[in-house]
Amino acid sequence: MMDEREDRLDEWVRDAAREYNPPPPTPRAEMWEAIQAGRRAARVVPRPIHPVRTPLRWGLGIAALLALGIAIGRITVPSRTETPAASSPTSTAQTPAQPVPDQPVQSVTPNRGSRSPAPSGGDPRGRSEVAAVFATGDHLTQVETFLTEFGTRAPATDFAGQAQDLLTNTRLLLDSKRVADVRTRKLLEDLELVLAQIATLNPRQRRQDLDLIADGLAQSHLRTRLRNAIPAGSAIRL
Amino acid sequence: MESTSLVARVLAGDQDAERELYDSHVDRVYRLVYRMVGDGELAADYTQDTFIRAFDRLATFRGEAALSTWITAIAISVVYNGQRKVKRLRAREVDLEHADPVAAPAREADPDLKLKLATAIEGLPEGYRTVFLMHDVEGYTHLEIGSALGIQEGTSKAQLSRARAKLRQQLAEYAGDLAS
Repeated sequence: MMDEREDRLDEWVRDAAREYNPPPPTPRAEMWEAIQAGRRAARVVPRPIHPVRTPLRWGLGIAALLALGIAIGRITVPSRTETPAASSPTSTAQTPAQPVPDQPVQSVTPNRGSRSPAPSGGDPRGRSEVAAVFATGDHLTQVETFLTEFGTRAPATDFAGQAQDLLTNTRLLLDSKRVADVRTRKLLEDLELVLAQIATLNPRQRRQDLDLIADGLAQSHLRTRLRNAIPAGSAIRL
Repeated sequence: MESTSLVARVLAGDQDAERELYDSHVDRVYRLVYRMVGDGELAADYTQDTFIRAFDRLATFRGEAALSTWITAIAISVVYNGQRKVKRLRAREVDLEHADPVAAPAREADPDLKLKLATAIEGLPEGYRTVFLMHDVEGYTHLEIGSALGIQEGTSKAQLSRARAKLRQQLAEYAGDLAS
């Protein structure tokens, strides 16, 4: 009796479950277009190959080796932080590198395995470029998450504030000039436009505006380009 | 065999073969993804991602499983990762907004059995839900499910059985209505 009832229930569940999230017709053409665009964007632009003469090649090799050695040295050898007194012009003349007994010298050996660049020494321009790469990656991850969420949430949710924050960061990255990659800059510019639209959504004409934004997103394949621009394994930071 | 030659043509740069591969598998992928996420835009995004990844990694396809199963495995991975992001963001927003749990659908309020079933399916653990949707709704075999999810065929059967039991449990109080 019980088994019969369970079977009956199972049968009903199977039948009824076919109406759970019933898929509409597959938007084949639109998706194919987006896939093609995404793959084109992901393709690395091949660099022109110039024949390099042998002596020059040797020179470049030695220079690269030296640079690598210097980099390893800076990462692995602990350096000393100048105490505030030692860094002042007057004290520099008196005691160039003497540690103060009461104030132990702080090692600035970077955390190995950490993504942070070395806090002292090294080329500041190179460090800021590395920082810009990380900042851009993080930012793109946040925008991707935001846009994914934006596409799924009920329009009642207030997205304007979040969009405004992301818009500000996008503008800062574009203004910083550290983002040199042309594709990334183009992506940021396109994102800026969409984020600006979301940030200025008109509450009275919301549905219409949302449709326009959705069209813009689809046409520029922004989500796909975003995913391709985000380095693999970069996790969202909440 | 057919898929092996198709893969070879795609890897050789044949654009028509790319489209052929896409056309052969896109419906199945989109249907499953849509069942899992229930949102057209997300389903399209995840399906696109699935094919972009599939084309990128096609050289690693060894033919140990069917091509369709290999693509399904990628699709499920894309959906899981994407949905985790969405859930995390939603959870954070709920925390920030101090959302009232009363807003959740009340258990006794809605007598609609199909809505109850939908809620019960949503409430299944991720693995059970995937197996249930693949087998009972989309008609995948346990062998295909096992290959796509990287589990044993027997595990797929066990998970389906547990999923059904959980659904029965959730819907038990309404079972009387079904008898009538």
